[in-house]
Amino acid sequence: MIEETLVLFKNIRNPDYDKSLKGYKKSGGFKALKKALKMKPEELVELVKSSGLRGRGGAGFPTGLKWSFMAKNTGKPSYLICNADESEPGTCKDRELMLKDPHQFLEGMMIGCYAINCRHGYIYVRGEYFPSIKSLNAAIDELYADGVLGENAFGKGKGLDLTVHTGAGAYICGEESALLDSLEGKRGHPRVKPPFPAVAGFNACPTTVNNVETLTCLPFIVNEGPEAFAGFGPPNNAGTHLVSLSGHVNQPGVYEVRMDVTLKDIIYELGGGIRNGKKLKGVIPGGSSSPVLTAEEIDVEYNFDALSKAGTMMGSAALMVFDEDTDVIKLLHRITRFYNHESCGQCTPCREGTHWARLIVQDFLKGNGNERKMKRLQRVGGNMMGTTVCALGDAAAMPITSFVKKFPLEFEKYYTQAAA
Amino acid sequence: MPVFEMDGKPVEFEPGEKVLSAAMRAGIKIPHYCYHPGMSVVATCRMCMVDVIDMGNGRPAPKLQTSCSMDAVEGMKVETKNEKVQEARELVMEYLLINHPLDCPICDQSGECVLQDYSFEYGSGKSEMEYSKRVYGWRDIGTFVALERNRCIQCTRCDRFTREITGTNEFGMFNRGHELTVDTYSDRPMINQFQGNMADICPVGALTEKEFRFKRRAWKLKKTPSICVGCSTGCNVTIEYDRNEVFRLKPRDNPEVNKWWMCDLGRLTYKTLNQRQNRLGNPLGKTGDGLQEISWEEAFNAISGKIKELQPSSTEVLGLVDTHASNEELYLFKKLLKQGFGSDLLCFPEPDWEQPVSDFFIDSLITSDKTPNRAGARLLGLKGEKSVDAVLPKLTSGVKVLLVLGQPFDVESLQVQAASIPLVVNISAWNSGWTQTADVSLPGRLHAEKEVTYTNKAGRVQRVQTAIRAHHKTRPDWMILCGLMEMLDVENQVDSTESIFLEMADAEQGFKELQWEELSSDGLNVPQTLQDPGRTEVSELSKTA
Repeated sequence: MIEETLVLFKNIRNPDYDKSLKGYKKSGGFKALKKALKMKPEELVELVKSSGLRGRGGAGFPTGLKWSFMAKNTGKPSYLICNADESEPGTCKDRELMLKDPHQFLEGMMIGCYAINCRHGYIYVRGEYFPSIKSLNAAIDELYADGVLGENAFGKGKGLDLTVHTGAGAYICGEESALLDSLEGKRGHPRVKPPFPAVAGFNACPTTVNNVETLTCLPFIVNEGPEAFAGFGPPNNAGTHLVSLSGHVNQPGVYEVRMDVTLKDIIYELGGGIRNGKKLKGVIPGGSSSPVLTAEEIDVEYNFDALSKAGTMMGSAALMVFDEDTDVIKLLHRITRFYNHESCGQCTPCREGTHWARLIVQDFLKGNGNERKMKRLQRVGGNMMGTTVCALGDAAAMPITSFVKKFPLEFEKYYTQAAA
Repeated sequence: MPVFEMDGKPVEFEPGEKVLSAAMRAGIKIPHYCYHPGMSVVATCRMCMVDVIDMGNGRPAPKLQTSCSMDAVEGMKVETKNEKVQEARELVMEYLLINHPLDCPICDQSGECVLQDYSFEYGSGKSEMEYSKRVYGWRDIGTFVALERNRCIQCTRCDRFTREITGTNEFGMFNRGHELTVDTYSDRPMINQFQGNMADICPVGALTEKEFRFKRRAWKLKKTPSICVGCSTGCNVTIEYDRNEVFRLKPRDNPEVNKWWMCDLGRLTYKTLNQRQNRLGNPLGKTGDGLQEISWEEAFNAISGKIKELQPSSTEVLGLVDTHASNEELYLFKKLLKQGFGSDLLCFPEPDWEQPVSDFFIDSLITSDKTPNRAGARLLGLKGEKSVDAVLPKLTSGVKVLLVLGQPFDVESLQVQAASIPLVVNISAWNSGWTQTADVSLPGRLHAEKEVTYTNKAGRVQRVQTAIRAHHKTRPDWMILCGLMEMLDVENQVDSTESIFLEMADAEQGFKELQWEELSSDGLNVPQTLQDPGRTEVSELSKTA
């Protein structure tokens, strides 16, 4: 029987937990920050590097390495921006962290700020997350009142401010450079890279953008040491991670697991199996932008490397399960509709491609599909891959190409049925 | 300079330069829509993709790169014509045309449309799009440019123009995804004074000049490089005309003067070139019955007869000139007075003028000095007078001969006074108050009808070329002045603008060492720095970009 490994959810899974500052401190909170403040920022960066922590936002980039790219001695302030825009369909892990244990996350954020010499951190929260925003703001108020944040946060005269900024509902603002634009008050359009944010990010200053879950891992790493964190999972996939399990399972929810747990175990043991005893048809393993897996392919470890080997990706670890009754074409239509709506529209292939792809899928739904259109869909989707400024083009392309590749019979069924 | 390789050919670049801009300087064509050298790089049209087969470190780039945003690196190898690149371009072309109305037959951009050109050159000619296109209604966004949103390819040049170049921010992008479109904010009309540039930088027919709409197909227009004479900035322009009718002025890029831009007022000056009303088409002589058309011979004879009769001394000859006259004409006029009559009495109107200064370069293009050659007059050492009141006493102090070039101090009080002067000669392209006053009026030509040079406010001497034909009985002003000199037996060997310019460069300190051959249409700076006491710098409120 697979069980959760509780690191980030240690407090949240405790029914008696009091999420206020008092409660968090009682549970051992802010020890890590004290420990971190005794270290030099560079040592902290090395510590995180050696822990093997990889970004939990989707790309899985090593966090310590990302920090070490920050331009130094520029004479400009450095910024740590927390990406709490969590907009990938199916993902809801950051919401839990911010809502149910805000102080743990804020401690992580403060450690992060200290590591990269940031004196003003921003938390860019998805606009729809009203309860999380409320909870975060209340927690920050508590920290200011307690003197943990403010003028002397990092010792005398070394202050830290944290600001919560809410998005306005655009998926693209979860892309880090679009997020920075949005935070600056502009239209959220992804920027051309280079320059990368580590050189010229928020207000053209060196900036690191980290995910909520990534930052929340920091207190544990500092407290227990990098080895303890790395010890949780297979090599190169350190730590536990939060899986947002949704779809046709008996017990959907956010689960914290080690990275050597298989996809199958998550679905059938943590998730309690498929709803109403149906058979599994497929799984979207890492948010709607990841290539789909069929029922036969789920016996794979749920981590960055294993999934990438299986031709898909872990993304933000949003696991969407669908059963045998699911109409795959309708599902794909919903996904293409989403990307059609959320494409920012600046790059030609994505702007026109997402729209065109939706129209083609819609054609299948109307019964106007044929083999030629299937090939065209494959081509239109594929052409968005790697041809745009940001990863939204790829994100829109991957489900399309993978659905056509993995469920050709479903498409066929649509147009043969229509013909009959 | 460091070098990288493009299609096997070496291309020089400045450190930090992008591949596309280095290639453009080297004359290699890479198709692009969103890139504009004057604005920030967004790399969104994806048309300028190139294949970097060696990034300078022996490794190829993982995928095609946008050359507009890619830094050039020493030793880099770039291919712009291989199959991969061609495929990518075909793809972009196909995608851009999905929602484009393809209304070329009724589109004004047709013939100078980059979308058209690239479709022809790089497109596959096929489309598999079978659904209805996105359609927008008509929007009126102001007086100068017309917006047709259906044709837009979302390159965002216009949006960046109002943000980065004018700083007025009244135009922007709306909506997302395939509905991304351009419009003005809050349904307000455009307010900046440089809207015409938006039509210029628009690669398609989404923004077109209202002045030019439906007047001529672009491919019928002939083009001659020239400068704008609307103010003392002297923006470099191209005069575009057909059948001797000027249809528009387009800015010609010159980094030293106007970069890529010009103002809307300047654009509208094309109208004066077509104006027939109020132009002098014939020499006019005053007889008992009023003004009568006479021949050039009669005109010259009348003038020389009168001068012989008056025998004016050097203090009895006065010249008035306005600074619409070119360097050559001012020089000849000065020479005529000096050598023909021994007179130094020459003045031009020199009111104070304002030079806007702001964070945005483009604001500096409009000055309140609306004449093109005031700096030239100053360089020639001519005397300027601020007001008409200062000129009036000169007319009353026993002047026998008054020569007026252009329409300086064109006010009635002066002309009433001048009526009592025995001989008033006016050389001008326009029928003005001076024409009515003058005993003999000689029809000159406008700047587009002759080849001359002007000196702009910063001391840059710029040449204009003959674009359109003038009325056959008019003559270039310099030729008229030469005729007058011949009549007065002044030694004169010049017979072309070039020879006048050479003589002037020889004789005048202000134009020392300027070479006619080097004076291409981009112009040359005069050797000295200009001081103009009439110039006041007015700071435009720093707009926030």
